[in-house]
Amino acid sequence: MDTGSEAAVSEMLRSPMFEHRRNGKIRIKSHDKSNTAIKLLVVCLAVITVYAFATFDYKDIDIAEAVSITLHNIKVVFLEPKLNYDTFSGIMYQLLITFCLGVISTLFGAVLAFFCALLCAKNISSSFMANTIKSIVAVVRAVPTVLWVMIFAAAAGLGSVAAVIGLTFHSFAYLTKMYAEAIEEIDDGTIEALKASGASFWQIVCQAIIPASISSMVAWTFMRFEINFTNAVAMGAAAGAGGIGFNLYMAGSFYFDLNELGMITYVIVIAVILLECVSTKFKAKVK
Amino acid sequence: MEGKVMPILELKNVSKIYNGSTKALSNVSFKVEEGEFISIIGPSGAGKSTLLRCINRLIDVSEGNVVFDGEDITSIKGRKLRQIRTKTGMIFQHYNLVDRLSVVENILHGTLGRKSTFRGMIGSYTEDEKKYAFEIIDDLGLSDQAYKRCDELSGGQKQRAGIARVIMQSPKLILCDEPIASLDPKASKVIMDHLLDINRNKNITCIVNLHQVDVAVKYSSRIIGVLSGEIVFDGPPSELTQEMIHRIYRSDSSDLITDVSGGLYEQ
Repeated sequence: MDTGSEAAVSEMLRSPMFEHRRNGKIRIKSHDKSNTAIKLLVVCLAVITVYAFATFDYKDIDIAEAVSITLHNIKVVFLEPKLNYDTFSGIMYQLLITFCLGVISTLFGAVLAFFCALLCAKNISSSFMANTIKSIVAVVRAVPTVLWVMIFAAAAGLGSVAAVIGLTFHSFAYLTKMYAEAIEEIDDGTIEALKASGASFWQIVCQAIIPASISSMVAWTFMRFEINFTNAVAMGAAAGAGGIGFNLYMAGSFYFDLNELGMITYVIVIAVILLECVSTKFKAKVK
Repeated sequence: MEGKVMPILELKNVSKIYNGSTKALSNVSFKVEEGEFISIIGPSGAGKSTLLRCINRLIDVSEGNVVFDGEDITSIKGRKLRQIRTKTGMIFQHYNLVDRLSVVENILHGTLGRKSTFRGMIGSYTEDEKKYAFEIIDDLGLSDQAYKRCDELSGGQKQRAGIARVIMQSPKLILCDEPIASLDPKASKVIMDHLLDINRNKNITCIVNLHQVDVAVKYSSRIIGVLSGEIVFDGPPSELTQEMIHRIYRSDSSDLITDVSGGLYEQ
């Protein structure tokens, strides 16, 4: 080693501002564990993807033909909607049934959730009670709605009863959490002021808690109703709950009628958009 | 005071310990005669708010007794406690009104304690109660705001609504927890004048937590100084000396803002 390179080495030792990568170049990325984890993940996914596509059982699919048929199907569904088996009024009636499934499950869920939220809002309940109910409700929420419907179907049989109970159960858990959070956001002072004037618990609930949290409760209820409506469509197909979901299922899996499928899809999409518009208007009004 | 007047409120050796260790009040004893206007002064965290809340039992006392209106209320519960609370009104620093309700509705909340639970829940008030509410609103100069929602009011107006709610309650004792701490000087004067007016003309006893020593000296008939949960001064404003003020606020003789006579730039 000559003196020149020794000088260079000592120069490097004197200036530890930068570090070198293994190949001798200057490193600019941080020593972050998550960086390594993400790299590892991307590599794994890439390997799995390549392996999967390489080993699929493609049978005798002609890719070009498959693509053109799929495009044709999409065209039929979305550009040529037409009712062949149902009348338009029939579809509307089925839509009403789905709508009612959503309303009933949201309503039952909301009423139960309101009383439960009073028990588990930390500012008006004991922390033991609040934590207990919140944990139970969290477990109920962790199980998907469809699973609850299937669980209740074991007792009530597949159909609208199981669907309503299952949807109600999940809505109840969801709304309890949301209502409790809405109540916890209320200024504690307001509750204290009414307490100090000798008001009883239910008077405080009706005169302070409800007025102060009604707008966010209504907003969450509408949000849940939209979820319940789309869930009710799915339950019509998956759990035989009736309504427009069942028609969708029949059109797609029984009649193989893409025109009808397209029409029903459009009806559902329009209904959901209308609901969204109404709920937005309503939420703005109760502010 | 002529003759033997029974005190409206008496605290006997009241202590409050939070979480088994933090002592907020220790051995506090004093008597309050009917019609007194008492200011409680002391630094932040001295236990003033705790003291007030022990009186209407928003906070349970750890030791000692609270006797109000000839009745030991230290450990009463439920309906009995609510009945006592109807006789002790409270005014707060942050007003604590229900923002989404109208001013009148908030003022009528003062009657809740005397109503049946159901009538209170649905907010059903008699015509007489409504008339009285509007009289109070007029007295406090809130007529233009009567039907406004409380979140539309200014701080001073909110505090007047808070006072109106307490008057509606027609209590024997009013507890005020720093009623002017969030208000400008003009609104503060209006609020203090209203309190003094209620005290003099309706003969309602007032206990006021204050940060402003000058206001306490000007308005009250008696001042109680609290430091670290103990009473260190109890007497008429005339006996409150500069040294005592400095002792209460545990400060050296020249670093209290109340001492500044004339602006800093004039010195």
